[in-house]
Amino acid sequence: MDGYVITVLSNIGMISFIALSAYLLLVTGEISFGQQAYFGLGAYAAGAATAMFGLPIWAGILIGVGAAALVAMVVGALTLRLGGLYFSISTLAFAEMVRLILLTAEVQVEVDGEMVGPDGANGFHDIRWMFERDISLAEFMLIIYCLLALVLIVLALVERSRLGSVFRMLGSDDLLAEMQGINTVRYRILAAGMAGGIAGIGGSLYAHFTTYVEPQFFNVMLGVHALAYGLIGGLGTAFGPLIGVAIDIGFLEAVRFIQGYRMIVFGGLVAVLLIFMPRGILDEDRVHRLKGWFSRRRHAGTRGN
Amino acid sequence: MIDFVQNTVDGIMFGSSYALLAIGFTIVFGVMRRLNLAFGATIMLGAYAGTWLHVHYQVNVLVIALTTLACTVLAGIYVERLCFRAVRRDAALASMVSSFVIWMQLEEVAVHLLPERTYPFPSLFVAGSFEIGPFLFRAEQITMLLLAVVMVGALHLLLHRTRYGLALRAMSENPQAAGYMGIHTEWVMLCAFALVSLVGGVAGYAILATDEQITPYFGLWATFKGLIAMMLGGMGSLPGAIVGGLVLGMVEAHSQWYLGNEYKDLSAYVLLFAMLVLRPGGFMGQRILSREELAFRRV
Repeated sequence: MDGYVITVLSNIGMISFIALSAYLLLVTGEISFGQQAYFGLGAYAAGAATAMFGLPIWAGILIGVGAAALVAMVVGALTLRLGGLYFSISTLAFAEMVRLILLTAEVQVEVDGEMVGPDGANGFHDIRWMFERDISLAEFMLIIYCLLALVLIVLALVERSRLGSVFRMLGSDDLLAEMQGINTVRYRILAAGMAGGIAGIGGSLYAHFTTYVEPQFFNVMLGVHALAYGLIGGLGTAFGPLIGVAIDIGFLEAVRFIQGYRMIVFGGLVAVLLIFMPRGILDEDRVHRLKGWFSRRRHAGTRGN
Repeated sequence: MIDFVQNTVDGIMFGSSYALLAIGFTIVFGVMRRLNLAFGATIMLGAYAGTWLHVHYQVNVLVIALTTLACTVLAGIYVERLCFRAVRRDAALASMVSSFVIWMQLEEVAVHLLPERTYPFPSLFVAGSFEIGPFLFRAEQITMLLLAVVMVGALHLLLHRTRYGLALRAMSENPQAAGYMGIHTEWVMLCAFALVSLVGGVAGYAILATDEQITPYFGLWATFKGLIAMMLGGMGSLPGAIVGGLVLGMVEAHSQWYLGNEYKDLSAYVLLFAMLVLRPGGFMGQRILSREELAFRRV
């Protein structure tokens, strides 16, 4: 594989984390315009851990995830009781606050005679973990996809558990869920924390892959794209958002002749898609039918033997 | 003290343009309960069409103003057809994401129309400034404030004194029941979008004529400022849109003066976030129904 393909695939992998993060909230019925804030916080926290304090990358990622999840839960506790559009706008306000604070933040320490750390609008340069350890892009891509697989497994386990049912219940009718004796606010905060943590993983990886991050990357466009990916791919399964990301980044990168008209084509396609499939390609009904089809086939196979 | 008053005056002047944008937003939300993210982009496309005429054919400003309004309304109708009419009624989320991708689409169409960074925008108003005591006022911004007040008044009359307004308000209460009462809901929706686009087009034209230039960031800027001003004032409240716009303008002007340029946007978002956490209904909006009341309503 050449560098270009690896970069595109790695980008798909890293953006998938924020798409999954927005997806998890969509499943619980909340629309967040602000998941890019946790992606950014994860990137800055993990970058600071490895570049400024010389910690190993697994500690950096843990710190990134922890910071993002913690902030997401605090913000969730403040805003989730609002519900609906009020929550969406407050996530937008919070994410822009984070971005604008990072634009002014200058916290630098001296490492090996050089100043390292967030430098306001210039961004956070020299997150050189990959170069110092002599790790190739392909190897890093492997790390990205291993973590992505891990997140998908966790989400699949959640989906099968009671927690998953509660999340889906909150999404379809939270009033009914509350009448069943479910503490909806607590579960929503939990979902917000998990979503923040997932976005934080993506951010931690992104900081180390590109070796530098700037606040401008975590603008609202990233957050709304993340939201759109879930809705394009489908809200029925965690693979939905991945399909959305692959369609946007993979397909449109590959088709060169629509360059420059990319958003005109993509926008039109998605708008038409949403008319016929308002909850995405793999929505709940289709996932349910696919599962039924697979399990019938399996049973037919065992009987045949 | 003089600085403080001058900042407040400047803030009110800027705020009047935010108020104009918030009026467009508040009608979309108040009546349709759906988020039209493409609102800023439709205004931008209309304004780009007007600017295109201005750049390529030196025509009368009135023609440019009318072109801007007409193209904004056409773009608004396009958004309504594609993202709202065609999408199933229970899929509000799909409408929102759909309007977002159409935002990106319209923006790219606009950039293909005029690929440069900035273009001059013709001024319609008599520019100029005058002084009252030690304070400086700009004529075109006072015009803008008056325009906002007149538009709110006209819209208030439209909503509360005409049959169309009655139909629109009935639809905002319950679209299904409104349909049973013989209201042609599709037509009312389409007209509402055209109306909102017209308001947005006027707002966009007034703002751009004051700035005398247009950039590709106008769509994003208009969407954000309108959204924040509307949320501050209270969703769906017309007077709230003006109050929210003016408050936003004043907060930005003061924080720019006392804290510096980089804190101008930050303080606006801090204010919005604090407002949503502490008093989500905004200055003039309705109280949010508590869960018990919602449950009671359903029963």
